[in-house]
Amino acid sequence: MSVQVTLVGAAAVPCGRIQSAPDAPIQSLEHEVLARCVIEAMRDAGLAKEAIGALVFSHPRPYTQQRYFGTFMANTLRIKVDGLLMEVLGNGMTGGLAFDQAAQAIASGRADVALALGVNFETATPSPEHMNLIMRATGDLDFHVPFGFTPISWYAMDAVRYMHETGATRRELAMVAVKSRRHAALNPLAQFRKPVTVDEVLAQRPIVEPLGLYEVPPRSDGAACLVLAREEIARSLGKPYLALKGRGFHHEGAHQISEVPNDMIAFGAAERAGRAAYAEAGISAADVDLAELYAPCTIVEVLVAEALQLVPRGRGAIAAADGETALGGRIPVNTSGGLISRGHPPYVTPLYSFVELAEQMRHRAGERQVKDAAIGIASCELGNYNAALVHVMEARV
Amino acid sequence: MTLPVLKIAGKRPYPPRVSEFTRTFWQGLSDGRFLSTRCAACAMRSFPPKPFCPHCWSGRIEWAPLAPQGTVYSSTVMHAVPAYFRHEAPYRVGIVDLDDRLRIATRLLGVEQGFAVGARAEIVVLAYEDGPLFAARVIA
Repeated sequence: MSVQVTLVGAAAVPCGRIQSAPDAPIQSLEHEVLARCVIEAMRDAGLAKEAIGALVFSHPRPYTQQRYFGTFMANTLRIKVDGLLMEVLGNGMTGGLAFDQAAQAIASGRADVALALGVNFETATPSPEHMNLIMRATGDLDFHVPFGFTPISWYAMDAVRYMHETGATRRELAMVAVKSRRHAALNPLAQFRKPVTVDEVLAQRPIVEPLGLYEVPPRSDGAACLVLAREEIARSLGKPYLALKGRGFHHEGAHQISEVPNDMIAFGAAERAGRAAYAEAGISAADVDLAELYAPCTIVEVLVAEALQLVPRGRGAIAAADGETALGGRIPVNTSGGLISRGHPPYVTPLYSFVELAEQMRHRAGERQVKDAAIGIASCELGNYNAALVHVMEARV
Repeated sequence: MTLPVLKIAGKRPYPPRVSEFTRTFWQGLSDGRFLSTRCAACAMRSFPPKPFCPHCWSGRIEWAPLAPQGTVYSSTVMHAVPAYFRHEAPYRVGIVDLDDRLRIATRLLGVEQGFAVGARAEIVVLAYEDGPLFAARVIA
């Protein structure tokens, strides 16, 4: 990469229930919430709006009434760009694609400063009706969907298979949720900040067996904005920033399920994307100081941490139980609290991963600061990690 | 040999669409047969059935019965379900590796306890009032 891409600013609103009921007399509006993030992120970067050359939006949920949301936002904030304005969409990977395209706009020389941003409002739609929509992503509409799958039913089957193959216990898996809450308790952006015990996790009602309420993602709204810039600009700002050092992507050519039987819990796409990202960055997994992994369920964090070689295969659940992947451990994973505790507004969730890396790697994470955080990674996915996108960031002063 | 048929009261919660091509599968299922496509060029089978081979892209495909048995790879019991399926919850779904080396995901019946990983299962027809679906049933 001849142009070095950097991350110089970030802002997000706390995850939670932000969207109003359809009949509420006073509504919370997506563009108002996101505009505040943009202004705050640009203030954080120390840049004026005239510097912005590209805008890459996460496509909003279908519940967002305003159409052509990206161009409407440019109007709301009166941002004129010469490089690019677009919305991207890729299921859970959407926010990661926004970051990736914004980085591409800078790397290609089309923009000196680019925003990756988005808002995800969905909580006013009750879960059973929301699942009527999202179930249509979980396989072939005619040959899988009629049986009533949901996205997390696949992760539950990952969990069953993992316990079968490795002998990992329910208690070990549940420790991922305990750890996530411990982290989230220290994160002002987190939706669920009250610590929980492993017994409380195990006592929750089943959602998709064996996973209970505290091991699956909550419903969340959220909004976030990242400011990316070419390194010359980052240096001129005179503050710590993050450099994008490596990127890997892989789609395994299967949608949710491979009709050719494979090792479903190897998360092969994450493995390949991770390897490519590490190679480009010139690092190995052992060099990573912290990881923000897209993991909607406890089991997913275990499997993706293994696929990215942060923990040995078959040891991911034990690593969480032993504190190895917790704050203060060998390789802290999801110091934000992750999707299950920080919150999961799906189309912008990967943007929140970069918000956390920006906080940690500029040493502004307060009580949850990872000491000497120099190299951080973010991963995101779609399906059952049928595709993965991994970025390696390096702290620079 | 035709597939076992289980009569189910009511209509399919989210009925599959049928195309000119896939009607062969759904008609076959109504007749108690579990059909899919096989490539005449590279011999790979596909599921769901496709009018071309997804592996070598040959258009020379033929319909052939699948051996309606396999091994359970994983399963789960779903308690939180889409509104369409609310009246059927909780229900069990599973992934089954058919003996013809194809992986399917469908409803899983006949599991007494646990998740039945590694158990043998057979394909059955669920004869709803408005048409068929298939399912896998663990062989006792």
